[in-house]
Amino acid sequence: MAARPVITVFDAKTKGEVKETVPLPAVLTAPIRLDIVRFVHDNLAKNKRQPYAVSEWTGHQHSAESWGTGRAVARIPRISGSGTGRAAQGAFGNMCRSGRMFAPTKIWRRWHRKVNLKQKRHAVAAAVAASAVPALVMARGHQIDSVPEIPLVLDGIEKVERTKDLLKVLASYGAGDDLARAAKSVTLRAGRGKSRNRRFTVRRGPLLVYDDDKASVLKAFRNIPGVDAVSVHKLSILKLAPGGTLGRFIVWSAAAFKALDHIFGTYTQTGTEKGGYQLLRPVMAHADVTAIVKSEAVQNVLRPIKETPEAHDRKANPYKNKKAMDRLNPFHKLKKRIEMIKAKRSV
Amino acid sequence: MVKKGPKQVPESVRKLQARIEQAKQAKAKASQDLEAQKSALAAEAQAKAEKYLAEYIHKETTSNQNRAQAKKNDQFWVEEEPKVILVVRIKGINKIAPKPRKVLKLFRLLQLHNAVLVRNNKATRNMLRLIEPFVTFGYPSVQTISKLVYKRGFIKVNNQRIPLNDNVQISAVLGSKGIHCVEDLIHQLVTCGTCFKECNNLLWTFKLSSPIHGFNHKRTSFIQGGDWGDREKKINTLVNRMI
Repeated sequence: MAARPVITVFDAKTKGEVKETVPLPAVLTAPIRLDIVRFVHDNLAKNKRQPYAVSEWTGHQHSAESWGTGRAVARIPRISGSGTGRAAQGAFGNMCRSGRMFAPTKIWRRWHRKVNLKQKRHAVAAAVAASAVPALVMARGHQIDSVPEIPLVLDGIEKVERTKDLLKVLASYGAGDDLARAAKSVTLRAGRGKSRNRRFTVRRGPLLVYDDDKASVLKAFRNIPGVDAVSVHKLSILKLAPGGTLGRFIVWSAAAFKALDHIFGTYTQTGTEKGGYQLLRPVMAHADVTAIVKSEAVQNVLRPIKETPEAHDRKANPYKNKKAMDRLNPFHKLKKRIEMIKAKRSV
Repeated sequence: MVKKGPKQVPESVRKLQARIEQAKQAKAKASQDLEAQKSALAAEAQAKAEKYLAEYIHKETTSNQNRAQAKKNDQFWVEEEPKVILVVRIKGINKIAPKPRKVLKLFRLLQLHNAVLVRNNKATRNMLRLIEPFVTFGYPSVQTISKLVYKRGFIKVNNQRIPLNDNVQISAVLGSKGIHCVEDLIHQLVTCGTCFKECNNLLWTFKLSSPIHGFNHKRTSFIQGGDWGDREKKINTLVNRMI
């Protein structure tokens, strides 16, 4: 890589028109650390939870008392009183009918998780880098076959005002397939979430990343199923890697894309907006291990493959096995002949 | 890239195939060299075996002559003390005191009916005295040693007990000392030559069978009509029943 690769910025209004080319921001070459992303996502996803618990006094609103021993009944606390079937029934225990549950859930359960700032930033950088790898984006499930370039950077997308205009723009740049996938996937949620204001489930479609908080596109994207928008200054791992899976399909606005170096910094300079943030350096300069192993330089210095040694022959008794004797003592044959001749002669 | 007909072979693949071919040829050459070495050794081995046989016969005849002459002249012919002892373990592994146990281990007699060749000197004789009740030993003949090496000969290769099936195995280890075949090895053992230690050590302990027609009385010494201890030349008859 002699020079930094370059990303084309397309004009949102005119299909396929190239506005300019921008050098690749360093954050898109950050190491893709699934382990960090998973960890951060798992923990940050817990932060939107609302507490649930059973009521404090559930199961205890009785004056039940154990009858103790000596009355031929179990020692469980029993409902006081008389005149009703409820009297003398067991109470309070988790095993009792209408008793309280084992370990009643409490609201002071630790619902939220704190994640170190650096880890959060590394995760976001990894997710942004993953979004620039078409293989990962496709693996995540996005339909990006018609997209001209990944990452997709559109100039002028922030100015789009109407939803149908935004749809046209996205369709002209190949995002239509992904939008169709999201739209088609709207289904009733399975389970009780239906009646808890989570009626429908949708696939995640493209993520719009914008720069200007007052951009008109922020009203235009709202009604398109599956599309999210997020400010480049407030990138969230929950949006960049939904479900902990790297490779969300991102549609960048030109301003947002150009701001990435300023936000995350480069390998020679720490981030400005993320004060002092240094991108993780990759552990391997050349990560294609197969290519390295197959290369000339390595193959030429390999020793030949060690073959499994042949199992040694069984011991052959030379006094019975003529071949074995011949192998060990070639003179033996001759000696036997001499003896035979001598024996013949003496007879 | 060189075009091979309609299909293009990537350069890396061509180079890999070339490397594999080279390795194959080197292997073939190595096996050819081994064959050549073997045939050269065979000719040498034959000549040596003849030479040694003549030597053994000569030794026997001269000692017979000397004895006969001494008898004729009413004198004594004192034979040279035998240089090599064959030791056979006749007691099992249980109930052995620590010192004899250690000596048995030093002699590599770790199992019942194990046999080893041992140099005859003050040091080894003293050691043998310590283990007398557990072994029987004596002076092996050329025939006995030959039989042991041919029939029960295993060599120590990489701390493994490998059968002695070819002279190349010996040549590989002792070639630098001039011992290239079984007859060379046996000669060293018989005459307690300069390389006796190396030859003896190359050989794994001889694992013999129990003797046909059995022992006499393992509990007492040979002198008392039993089996253990020094039985000088009579070791040959015993070991021939055990080989």
